[in-house]
Amino acid sequence: MTQQLNRQPAADQHGPSATDQTGNSSVMEPGSGPFSYRDLARLDEALTMSAKETGLRFTLYVGELGSDTRATAEDLHARSGGDTTNSVLVAISPGQRVLEIVTGTAAARRLPDRACALAVLSMTSRLGAGDLVGAIINGLRQLSDAAGHPARRNAH
Amino acid sequence: MSVLETVLIYGVVPLVIVLLFAAVTLFPGRSKDRTKYRPGQSWDYAPLWYEPHPDVPGVVGGHAEDAPGAGHAAPRLGATASVLAIGQRPYVPEADTVRRTAAGGARGTW
Repeated sequence: MTQQLNRQPAADQHGPSATDQTGNSSVMEPGSGPFSYRDLARLDEALTMSAKETGLRFTLYVGELGSDTRATAEDLHARSGGDTTNSVLVAISPGQRVLEIVTGTAAARRLPDRACALAVLSMTSRLGAGDLVGAIINGLRQLSDAAGHPARRNAH
Repeated sequence: MSVLETVLIYGVVPLVIVLLFAAVTLFPGRSKDRTKYRPGQSWDYAPLWYEPHPDVPGVVGGHAEDAPGAGHAAPRLGATASVLAIGQRPYVPEADTVRRTAAGGARGTW
């Protein structure tokens, strides 16, 4: 199951790779959330496979982004835990109809803004049709295709 | 052709077909499995934040990377680390101030 990062993790929600900022309790109750079991499984596979293929750390945020959506998304990216230079945040606010993609310094070299804009374009066209999960999955696929495989430094 | 046969063929058979399609399309169980979202609708759910599964090998930041795996040499101490090992403390930024890490990206609305 995809790990969930909480913005304010409770004490009992700390998962196996939790840090001070991220709680990542596993999603066990999809009935309360917006996504169904099948959609969660698809999201899980899309996130994990794109992270595995590219070596970048993709995280997905779905929720309110405040009045300054870009600043909130960049703040979330800074607190996403792990190696933030190598991580890519896909932040979607369905209520505000805003989609933000934030790349770290190392990730931006492999994912230029033009590739991100292309992914955003295809995602927004799907989001406009109401296909939230399809937009996320196709966007992640497009981003990982654009990033390609990581350079094999110690191939043996 | 008797009256009974006529009714069966021209009345009952179309009715059965119509009811079959009605049952398939109006059956409520299938719609529950889809994520409900319409553009313009308010989003009343708590914020969710997902990261890649950490237990899968090959995922950056995963557990498999943390473990000293066979075949991979342990990371050597660099210059900074060896200086720190002598006794200096690393620079730890304030807990509240988060350094800006974003370098690029894109945004869009729909």
